[in-house]
Amino acid sequence: MKQNRTGVALLALTAALLPAMAHGQAQKSPIPEQPSIAPQIELDGTGIGTLQLSSPRTTLSNGVRSSNSRINLSDSALLLGVSQQLSGKTGVGSFVVGLTSTESNRSPSGTDAFLHQLYLNFQSRKLDAAIGRTDTGTRLVDFPTIRGDDLNEFVNVLNPFSDGSNVQEHRYSNQATVILHSSLRSSLNLHAQNLITTTPSTVGQGGINSYGIAYQYQELDALAALKKVPLWGAGFERRTLGSGEGGASNVLYGGLVYNIAPDPVDRIDLRLQDYYAFGNDTRAFGSVTDTFRADGNTIALGLRYLHSPFGVPGYQVSLTAGYKTYDKVRHADTFGLALTGVKRLGSGFDLVLQYQYQNRQSAYAAAYSGVKDEHSIQIGFVFNFTNTFNKHLGPRRSLLNLQHQYLPD
Amino acid sequence: MEEETKQVGRRTFLSKLAGLAGAFGIGAGLDSQPAQAQGSVVNPNAPKTGTPVVPVENTRHSGWPSQMVINETAPKWNPRAMPKPGDKIHEFNIEITVEKIEILPMEEHHFYTFNKTMPGPEIRVKEGDWVKVNLTNKTHDFHTIHWHGMYVPCEMDGVPLGTQYPVGYNQKFTYLWRAQPAGTHFYHCHNMTNMHIQAGLYGSLIVEPAEMDIVQQTFPYEREYTLVLSEVDTDFLREQMNAMLAMGVTMDAMNGSSKLMSKMSGKMMGWFTSKEEFEKAVRGGWTPPYHRSRTGPPMRVEPNFFFINGRPYPMTEHMHITRGENIRVRLINAGILLHNMHLHGHDFWHVCVDGAPLASPVRMNTVPVFPGSTADIIIQGTNPGGWHFHDHSDISLMNNGMSPGGMMTMLMYEDAEAAGFKFKEIIATDS
Repeated sequence: MKQNRTGVALLALTAALLPAMAHGQAQKSPIPEQPSIAPQIELDGTGIGTLQLSSPRTTLSNGVRSSNSRINLSDSALLLGVSQQLSGKTGVGSFVVGLTSTESNRSPSGTDAFLHQLYLNFQSRKLDAAIGRTDTGTRLVDFPTIRGDDLNEFVNVLNPFSDGSNVQEHRYSNQATVILHSSLRSSLNLHAQNLITTTPSTVGQGGINSYGIAYQYQELDALAALKKVPLWGAGFERRTLGSGEGGASNVLYGGLVYNIAPDPVDRIDLRLQDYYAFGNDTRAFGSVTDTFRADGNTIALGLRYLHSPFGVPGYQVSLTAGYKTYDKVRHADTFGLALTGVKRLGSGFDLVLQYQYQNRQSAYAAAYSGVKDEHSIQIGFVFNFTNTFNKHLGPRRSLLNLQHQYLPD
Repeated sequence: MEEETKQVGRRTFLSKLAGLAGAFGIGAGLDSQPAQAQGSVVNPNAPKTGTPVVPVENTRHSGWPSQMVINETAPKWNPRAMPKPGDKIHEFNIEITVEKIEILPMEEHHFYTFNKTMPGPEIRVKEGDWVKVNLTNKTHDFHTIHWHGMYVPCEMDGVPLGTQYPVGYNQKFTYLWRAQPAGTHFYHCHNMTNMHIQAGLYGSLIVEPAEMDIVQQTFPYEREYTLVLSEVDTDFLREQMNAMLAMGVTMDAMNGSSKLMSKMSGKMMGWFTSKEEFEKAVRGGWTPPYHRSRTGPPMRVEPNFFFINGRPYPMTEHMHITRGENIRVRLINAGILLHNMHLHGHDFWHVCVDGAPLASPVRMNTVPVFPGSTADIIIQGTNPGGWHFHDHSDISLMNNGMSPGGMMTMLMYEDAEAAGFKFKEIIATDS
């Protein structure tokens, strides 16, 4: 009898505790009653693994060319996004979280995980508002290299608050962004960013240190291979460096994709991006961070041939090149190129091969451990996938919405 | 639907023959007025106003012919014949467009439509008359019209790549055929049929008997209703429409260049001129679109909205009746699921299947209507009230998983109050 009473008491305690434990598994919603319906869940991922052989040559007195090899896993990523339709069909609310692998000097293994996406997003036909960490507001044109950070010094607007140990700090930022859409093809991006700060003088500062505006035009995806200019855009960014860091750095940038041979089967396109930094008074490179701040011009150009027999991608060959010059620092020019081949083995699974070269003049090389030039070659695989569960929302830029009146789902 | 009816005279006979030849070819541009939606409430074949309705109790033994005619499935007229002088030709213009349709308040989806309506406009003609339909496609997908249940010439059957090339963006095709057999039929797009019917490309096709209507004679009626049953998986539809329209936009852009057109081989579309050519292509390395390396798991169709005439409950239209009245209800299942239509408070007579009279009317209260099939029933006004008429496969009685909704309407007695019954319908969207 006593045992039975104990059992009943335990059951009662369990019953009382279980709901509390369940609530304790997640953060409380501002309105805890019915926080959400079952959302649409999107799982995206990219796995990149390459065997990389590099041969750097330094400007030091012996100046010999050395060589090294490594397994490069950087720029692999996993993203989880959830979305749901909002009340009265006002729009769609989303939450995205994602990790990417990165080469990092801070990690003993050389590879680290970096939280590159963590944002909340409201989307309606004319407005897109996001807050959190995502792609920097200055990202415009993607170039056809294996990784988004290949030739990073040329294809991305660089972060003047980064110490250079993590290349992803140039590509992602914490930000509050409002994008105004017109006809779902043109967009105006207004943003205020906290560019990730890792330099000794700025580390730990989390305030807004960059803001800007950008315009972009994007054609229907179905016509991306057929329109002469399926994408173009331009923008202005102001980075609020203090006077002790040479003063504010402004950037004007623009870019486009131009189809030389508009053809869904044998497509040849050209990608061009230029950004010009001005207003900062850095006149010598004391560290790699100075190369991100100093006034100068950077141009990147990508030429790509994509063969898609019967409309299904088969292989791609591309040449990407970049050139950077500084206004106030002498002997600091640098150029780089990447010759990339991709053979599609199956939907989303590719065999990749890339040769890369970069040359640095002396002042610039000094900021990069004295490496004057470097050859590297990579071979490996890339797996790219996207999968959606609980599918009940369509993408906003779907063809139906673009051509046949927008529906907010 | 606005139609143009013409008698073929001696003077126009030769030009009509030329038109027919064009119709059997690639189709021709015509400039008639666009067709419009047409209701089906009043039967033009009904007795004139004032004709007394036969009392229900007198209709039980009516001399319904029960003998089977062995050659009844043969066409009355040679389907491959041409119109002759004196033949009546009904001409309709039908245009296919993409429209945003509100199936429930604030519940909008994109659909393909015949003349901007879902279902498409009803076509109603007399048996033996000619029907000429000028189809124009204003979407970037391919379409045809299949005349379901009709004895048409093979070239007019509307099967893409089977009996005709599909009709592309801004292209036209003219269908011409003689209306036979009589009865309740329907028409629908036959390209990617599953998706295109879900998208709304279907409509009723009523062929009234040239001579005696056995149903009318046995169960005299003045009012009739056509109820087209269908369902849609809105997520499947959105994904498929986007995919097909994207492919169509690309193809149509390539059409502007002879260089690019030369690259549009059958392998891009998955089209081959023979089974041998298809097999050779696959064995030679071409990967078909159904292969798992291109498709992954199959996309399942799980309908979430169920329609009567293109709308789910509570937005369906009521049927009306009075005591002592017979009404004819033509049920057409254009969809992919079996629907068992059940009427509360009554038995009814099942009189026709696929347009043809049954050997004998069958008394029932739940009639199965198979996919692609039609069923005509006669409801007799015997029990005043407001009665539910719905699919008894209860999965179809939901709107996006919430009940009640879907494939349900009401049979409303107009004289219910006079019979002492006061009914106020409560619109429930969640039980």
